[in-house]
Amino acid sequence: MSLPRTVWNTVKSLVVGHAVTAREIATRPITVFYPEEKPEFPTGSRSVPVLKVNEESGYINCTSCGLCERTCPPGCIEITQAVDPATNKKKPWPHLYTLDLSHCMVCNLCVEACPFDALEMLDVPELATYQVQDLKFHKEQLLDLWKTGKAIRIAEGQPMPSK
Amino acid sequence: MNDVLAAVLEALAVLTYVALNAFVLIWLERKIAGHIQRRIGPLRVGGPGGSLQSLADGIKLFSKEDFRPGGRDGIIWWLAPLVSMTPAVMVFIAIPFGQHLIIHDMNIGLIYITSITSFGLLGVFMAGWGSNNKYSLLGAMRAGAQLFSYEIPAILSTIGVVLAAGSLSLETIVAKQSAHWFLFPQILGFIVFYVAILAETNRTPFDLAEAESELVGGYFTEYSGIRWAMFPFAEYGTLFTGCALATTLFLGGWHGPLFLPGWVWFLIKTYILVFIAMWIRWTLPRVRIDQLMDLGWKFLIPLSLINILGTGAYIALVR
Repeated sequence: MSLPRTVWNTVKSLVVGHAVTAREIATRPITVFYPEEKPEFPTGSRSVPVLKVNEESGYINCTSCGLCERTCPPGCIEITQAVDPATNKKKPWPHLYTLDLSHCMVCNLCVEACPFDALEMLDVPELATYQVQDLKFHKEQLLDLWKTGKAIRIAEGQPMPSK
Repeated sequence: MNDVLAAVLEALAVLTYVALNAFVLIWLERKIAGHIQRRIGPLRVGGPGGSLQSLADGIKLFSKEDFRPGGRDGIIWWLAPLVSMTPAVMVFIAIPFGQHLIIHDMNIGLIYITSITSFGLLGVFMAGWGSNNKYSLLGAMRAGAQLFSYEIPAILSTIGVVLAAGSLSLETIVAKQSAHWFLFPQILGFIVFYVAILAETNRTPFDLAEAESELVGGYFTEYSGIRWAMFPFAEYGTLFTGCALATTLFLGGWHGPLFLPGWVWFLIKTYILVFIAMWIRWTLPRVRIDQLMDLGWKFLIPLSLINILGTGAYIALVR
């Protein structure tokens, strides 16, 4: 390359490069001040599967059919079906529903397997604890968690109406 | 007795200014770096925008363990930060901040400054040699080649100004620029000088001496704590004095169009040049060593010689 052409290319690339960085100085930083300011999670973010309550009847949708328990790849769901003590007959709701989040890989397979629309993925990521045992969520905790977050139905791609 | 007291006070004033300046410039550099990368930079420490971040860092560096590498070259290793920092401080003596705001106006002020800044190379090389570390030595060798190559265009580019002003005293050079700055007749000289001071302060795109991605930390790899802090101190001091010298020689020093005090104009112009140096640092990637040498010897030196020739011809023929 000839010398004038080299000089011209150098000057051009210097001006273009500095224009780019000057533009970046002028634009707003994309930093989110996390603890003070919560970021907007993209639709479909998932943190933990939680149990849903039917808003009309007030009961949970789960019938303790055990499909989620069998689908779960890491095997972190444990269900004990409720039994009527008088008649010793099984009842269509769970007596115990335990989800061990320390094993859960948030794959969404349980939600997809559930035929009764009883499970939903929550988008609240702040579930860290000091003890690993505290990550074992029971039925009541999962119901409470469901109330805290804006759960998302992946299948239909629509966010739930706020509770 | 009074002379001694005055000298001590002057030294204290200069040292305080160098320290404050380094604190402010390090904070500014981190802020500019952050905003160029769409981050925010220091934020939590101190007042608005994390402005006391450098102070907190300084306290941390003071309280760190004084680690000495084994196999060091005792006194050379120990002296290197001091030798590196002293010239950066001594240059302040001859810089005219305002009309009479100069610690010591020498009639050879420019020669004094160029010769004192060359001592910085000695400190860098002592650090590289004394550390007994291959990265340090490589960094010091590079710094030696680089500083030696860029001293020449830096000095040659100032000769045009000296020819135009007819004096080596920095105060006289500024006084001669009351009508018009030397920037436009000497634009070639200004460009060469500015590039050369960027190279002499070891800043990206010329930071081959401390290239952290290749040489760990370059010549100060083996330093930690306050010894390490002296090198950035010297670097930011040299950056300021280089920009102050560019202001003095090319941008009319304390002269300004509005009725502000002279030293305000001087500081505004200097810090604009410092800002541009930081802007360049966070824009351009590092050059290779052969490109660096090519730029110095094949481009900047001929350019500064053309500048001298042009200025000399103008003075001989027109005046």
